[in-house]
Amino acid sequence: MKAFETFHPIVLFAFFVAAVGLSMFFMHPVYLAITIFSAISLNIALRRQLFFKDWKLYVPLFFLMAIINPLISHNGQLVLLYINGNALTVEAIMYGLAIATMIVAVMLWFSCYNVVMTSDKFIYLFGKVSPALSLTLSISLRLVPRFRHQLTQIIQAQKVIGMDYTAGSLWHRIKCIVRILSILITWALENAIDTADSMKARGYGVKKRTAFSLFIFERRDGIALTIIMLLFVTNLAASFLGTTTFYFYPTFGTIKWDIGSLLFYSSYFLLLSIPLAIEIREAFKWRSLKSTM
Amino acid sequence: MALVKIDNVSFTYPNETSPVLKNIHVTIQQGEFIVLIGQSGCGKSTLLRHFKRELQPHGEMAGQIFYKGCDLQQLNAEVAAADIGYVFQNPDNQIVTDKVWHELAFGLESLGLDSVTIRRRVAEMANFFGIQKWFHQKTTALSGGQKQLLNLASIMVMQPKLLLLDEPTSQLDPIAALEFIQTLHRLNKELGITIILIEHRLEEVLPLADRVLIMDSGEILFDGLPRDILMTLPKEHAMITALPAATKIFHRLNGVGSIPLTIREGQRWLHNQQVTPADMSPTISYNDTAIAVEAKDVAFRYEKNGQDIVYHFNLQVKEQEFLTIIGGNGTGKSTVLAILAGLQKPYRGKVTLFNKALKSYSNKQLYQQFLTLLPQDPKTLFVQKTVRQELEDMARLHKVTEANMQKTIQLFHLTHLLNRHPYDLSGGEQQKLALAKLLLIEPKILLLDEPTKGLDAHAKEELAEILKDLQAKGMTIIMVTHDIEFSAQYSSRCALFFDGSIVSEDEPRAFYSGNNFYTTAAHRISRELLSNAITCEDVVTLCQKTFV
Amino acid sequence: MSKNIRLMISIIVIVVLMPLTLYAGITLFADRKYYFISIVIIILACVPFFLSFERRKPQPREILVIAVMAAISVAGRALFVITPGFKPVAAITAITGFSLGAEAGFLTGALSALVSNMFFGQGPWTPFQMFMWGMIGFIAGLLGKTGLMHKKIPLILFGIFAGVFFSFGMDIWGTISMYGVFSWQAYTLALTSAVPFMMVYAVSNVIFLLLLEKPIREKLERIKNKYGILQ
Repeated sequence: MKAFETFHPIVLFAFFVAAVGLSMFFMHPVYLAITIFSAISLNIALRRQLFFKDWKLYVPLFFLMAIINPLISHNGQLVLLYINGNALTVEAIMYGLAIATMIVAVMLWFSCYNVVMTSDKFIYLFGKVSPALSLTLSISLRLVPRFRHQLTQIIQAQKVIGMDYTAGSLWHRIKCIVRILSILITWALENAIDTADSMKARGYGVKKRTAFSLFIFERRDGIALTIIMLLFVTNLAASFLGTTTFYFYPTFGTIKWDIGSLLFYSSYFLLLSIPLAIEIREAFKWRSLKSTM
Repeated sequence: MALVKIDNVSFTYPNETSPVLKNIHVTIQQGEFIVLIGQSGCGKSTLLRHFKRELQPHGEMAGQIFYKGCDLQQLNAEVAAADIGYVFQNPDNQIVTDKVWHELAFGLESLGLDSVTIRRRVAEMANFFGIQKWFHQKTTALSGGQKQLLNLASIMVMQPKLLLLDEPTSQLDPIAALEFIQTLHRLNKELGITIILIEHRLEEVLPLADRVLIMDSGEILFDGLPRDILMTLPKEHAMITALPAATKIFHRLNGVGSIPLTIREGQRWLHNQQVTPADMSPTISYNDTAIAVEAKDVAFRYEKNGQDIVYHFNLQVKEQEFLTIIGGNGTGKSTVLAILAGLQKPYRGKVTLFNKALKSYSNKQLYQQFLTLLPQDPKTLFVQKTVRQELEDMARLHKVTEANMQKTIQLFHLTHLLNRHPYDLSGGEQQKLALAKLLLIEPKILLLDEPTKGLDAHAKEELAEILKDLQAKGMTIIMVTHDIEFSAQYSSRCALFFDGSIVSEDEPRAFYSGNNFYTTAAHRISRELLSNAITCEDVVTLCQKTFV
Repeated sequence: MSKNIRLMISIIVIVVLMPLTLYAGITLFADRKYYFISIVIIILACVPFFLSFERRKPQPREILVIAVMAAISVAGRALFVITPGFKPVAAITAITGFSLGAEAGFLTGALSALVSNMFFGQGPWTPFQMFMWGMIGFIAGLLGKTGLMHKKIPLILFGIFAGVFFSFGMDIWGTISMYGVFSWQAYTLALTSAVPFMMVYAVSNVIFLLLLEKPIREKLERIKNKYGILQ
């Protein structure tokens, strides 16, 4: 088990809201560099093989995103050339690259989110906001694999009576698919009555439900959450003070390198590298534990 | 004071004229283990649901039910939910959430208990049931037996006084079923929980029961000790066939004295009768008929890097044979059927059908003329709103004539069910409908995947008659099953599937008298005296010979 | 009565509050954060539905029907792995809406998106998908009251509408708000790139609506009658 994911769900969720939210918001080149760097590092730490597979998807996506902007936007002062009377500008190209970086960074953060925030953690958090809906979600999550299994049973049974959805004309296939779905729906709805009875039998609706969970909020969760909050507020402050602002149009703004800006940049970097720092710290701890054993 | 008192209760479903329950009087004492039996449709499930207020069916009810002297309708909602627990037939349907730990906590959350209490109660129950190992798992990852134990545990955390169970083991394999029943026994003995259980597996359950209730068309026919059943029940009553083997043999041989319920008691009783050792002649075999299906060195796995599910698999089935393949749960018996049916392709080896490679048949040919497969879940075949439409649907797909359809309806005794919704049928009736639907195309080979699962003794007999009839008309039948008794009684050849292949096969008498553990109750009772009697029928026949 | 009030509140939120916030958002952050703002607004827009469901203390059988329909939408995708975009989700959501009303329609749609992304991966598209499918269910629920939605032509029209509507939210609004460029060229580019998807959505919606509307309606009716649930 990785270290970061053992933190309380609220800590994990807060981190990803901060990381994704701020990444979407800041188009400043330094901020973009920080977020894409942190996102890649965390991906390598958490999902090594999967991440290297994903590149095949991300690289073309990046370039596609980057190309679109200069095609639709002709703002900017540094004109490279004219195509059909439309200007192709350096600003538009750079803005395209910035957008592409931002999107890929957000996707990378989400791929970490998908590893770390497993369904039970989300259900737990969601349950704090909306217990009934969170229960509905939990039921639905349980039903999906069950329905898939039943679906394969139905597909086989239907194949034997000549309703094979993988063969024959398109119309035949569609008819088979509808038939298979229809069988599944009847089965699912009739069985659901039992499930509803089982809920009632166990007192559902008798009192206001409490939400039990195996998650315990430890001291370290409190510390981590405080740090995330503080750094998040610092970055919001940076945004209000204008440190995070960078103009691409009409032409590029300037990147500031004064002490204040550098401090704000570092606060962003600190915030986004929290999970990686936790992973590294844990790795060292285990190494020293092993050596003393 | 009685725990529950049912006082003159009658019940009629909406839109029905005759009542399902007629003037029922029952008193349940604290700590009793009660088994409730009766043929399907006798009203036993309806009666059981009356004990649980939240599950009482809609309809017209007369009479009163008291729980600890208090009218059940007036009982406090929390007490009603916690004190009376209910376990349903299908282990999958009653699981609500997606994690084991959450499922255990569900009832306590509903009662609004705090986290500390829930944690403690859940921990206690997880220990009692040995759930620690799969505590963190997803509920979908569990086996059927584990699921049903989880259902029981998630009711036990609510600390009920009364447990109601409606055929809880009908969907389980024999080993899981036995484990479940033993757990119930433990709950009753160690914690004093009162239990009312509807169950078909009387062989295992009857010896544990303090009291038996037998229902017949909405009335309680018998209420007393298990050993007194025979004295009260009419000699030819349908429930006799459902009784344990020892009891049945005793009954058929007009035994006197204390009635045996278990194998051990049966052995003891039989030893005291003057029985001279004798043999049965072997079952008729079909050595002369042509080969219908043959598998040679077949190997199969689901994924390229997965484990072999089937390997070194060899099998020869002659025309008109009725072969049963028995074997443990999850060992790949169903996969074997799928391979024989051409639904899964082996990566090595060869399957032939009437001496022609299975591969060389087109799907159309194969499934319209040669073979059909009855899936484990008959509901995977139901698309329509009525039984009649189900059959018409199949007839339309395969251009079956009206006359043939009528013939099938007769053969399967479906006439009185034609206008019912397939989901409103009993398990046995659904099985019959599915089979009828498949057999409209008149295949030469019939494959069946656990067709006796969840059926009561009567429905099994009815199925057996149909299969015998089909076999007599020339059909080849291959059936995969857990049901040793059914296999011994009706098949013409038996095979044991283990670790990917067939390890032994023979005609039933030789097969089951050769097995020591994996054999029928009747054989275990009579083994010392009669070398190859494997059914109650065999034992009775041989004994009657010597008695004369 | 209280049900109508809830409906009114929902409509107010969607028709008035949402565009208002959108406008405020754009003028406040004049720095092209449309995508971010859209996501925030969409999450906000789901809130009244969730809250009213919560307040109402739904019965187990209601919860189950919504969970089942959402799970079917997701599990059903296994049948269509080869054809992207050709999914029964919108149709199943809409049919649930026709039969069970606007709120159940919205929740089925939104939950389908959420559950589906729990299996296939969450992303910034999750809120968009939740909202678009939810709205399809919601509108279907309102139209269901007319009693016309089991006739062929209304079904076809609704299928096309739902396809275009979904594509508009996911593909067109998605891309434009991401780039923050509002020019005719941008609209044209987004539209032309979205048209193939739009067609696939519309066609699959029409097919599934026509073929599934009757069976699903009948199955829900049967459950309603036999077990006396849902109103």
